[in-house]
Amino acid sequence: MITVHQLTKHYRSVAAVNGLTFEVGPGRVTGFLGPNGAGKTTTLRMLLGLTRPDSGTATIDGVRYRDLRQPVRRVGAALDNDSFQPGRSAIEHLRVTATAAGISSKRPAEVLDMVGLADAARRRVGTFSLGMRQRLTLATTMLGDPGVLILDEPLNGLDPDGIRWMRDLLRKLAAEGRTVLVSSHLLAEAAQTVDDVVVIANGRLAAEGPVAELTASTHTDNLEDLFFDLINNRARIDDHASEAYSS
Amino acid sequence: MTTVVHLTRAEIRKLATSWSYLIAVAVSIGLAVMSVAVDAIVAGRNGTPPLGTTASTDQMLKLGPVCCVAMLIVGIVAAGGEYRHKTIIPAVLIAPRRHGLVLAKAIAVALGGALLSAVTFGLGLATAIVALAIHHLHDLPSATGHLYAGSVITGTLFGLIGTALGYITRNTIVAAAAAVGWVLFGELAILHTVIPHQAKWLITGAAVALTDPTSPAGSVLGPVTAVAVLIGYAAALLAAASGLVLCRDVA
Repeated sequence: MITVHQLTKHYRSVAAVNGLTFEVGPGRVTGFLGPNGAGKTTTLRMLLGLTRPDSGTATIDGVRYRDLRQPVRRVGAALDNDSFQPGRSAIEHLRVTATAAGISSKRPAEVLDMVGLADAARRRVGTFSLGMRQRLTLATTMLGDPGVLILDEPLNGLDPDGIRWMRDLLRKLAAEGRTVLVSSHLLAEAAQTVDDVVVIANGRLAAEGPVAELTASTHTDNLEDLFFDLINNRARIDDHASEAYSS
Repeated sequence: MTTVVHLTRAEIRKLATSWSYLIAVAVSIGLAVMSVAVDAIVAGRNGTPPLGTTASTDQMLKLGPVCCVAMLIVGIVAAGGEYRHKTIIPAVLIAPRRHGLVLAKAIAVALGGALLSAVTFGLGLATAIVALAIHHLHDLPSATGHLYAGSVITGTLFGLIGTALGYITRNTIVAAAAAVGWVLFGELAILHTVIPHQAKWLITGAAVALTDPTSPAGSVLGPVTAVAVLIGYAAALLAAASGLVLCRDVA
């Protein structure tokens, strides 16, 4: 279970994330949606202890990420599909990560096989396509066989086959009881992947819940309509608040 | 403690599979062997000391600067490269409290520095022995052992200084520019001119004491003091780097 409570982060006078509260449960794929600059990546960074929040808490199974014992075995996280030394081979990249995390030396070959990169194991990562890098990123997150997966824009750069493969894998992982949180701005793709959504705009929560329930309650037909409805609603609320504050 | 051991193993693995380290080893060995061979060839010409004299052999074995520059670059690339390639993100995700990150990198670079410097000086020394033997000369200066140890220690500590600079600046180019700027302008151009008698306490002054047997006695620190001074600089910079890694957000 991922729990974010009143999370706030300012960069100078700009509120990147403002009093954000939501929960993500196990056994489901949850989409973390919002327009560019909404605060998705900042939220994920705070959740993973990469950025310090000004206030609020973000916990995984009730514990801050930095306080987790063997965090890589509990949480598989990927915030960038380009966190590789380009001169290193895929298998060597995974071996380095596995060694650092105290994970079995057999595991890198297993996860490479899992993401369909076994044939490219000895190729330098610098020669990989964007889609191959996404797969390698996912392989890295799966090294510790974690119960929680946090992925920032995992569908970016994937071709239609890759998107379908990623979608099936994420659903399979959720079906195994894992908590899967996936940020995305590709609404059409996300619609076919996620069970629940957390939608944010201007660093604030716009809505959270199962996609089916939200579309029914807002009388929208699909995730895209729901998204724009929520974002516009959030913008109106923020405008009213801003006007009230200035008057 | 276990975390630091795992991180250190991973850092050693990174260094061993890093092209920058392997290239640095190859280049420093090549430069050392070439420099000794050239010194042997020109010995006795144009006023240089004849081959076989202590002055000539000392000149041949001034290989410390090669080790220092190579390891400074390796340290900078090893630490600054984490930010350049964004591998600092998975590193912090593995060790979110970040305590062991700089320590593990420092241990790995120190081991790599000792190896690079030992091999570089060793092959340079072997070249010198062969060059002397060709001319039926078999005596080495009595300080050769000290020079060997001094070069290895200095190369190792320069690797640590480079590592600290890489973490502090988070940018390999800026770190390299800072290192070159400090040595050429800060120390050699300004401080050596303004406070010449205190220059031996600077990084380059301490390094010269350990790697240059031709320096006049009295103008350089004793070897033990020089090692202590260099350790002090490396420790202070690594402490600053650790503090910054602990408190900065990872972007």
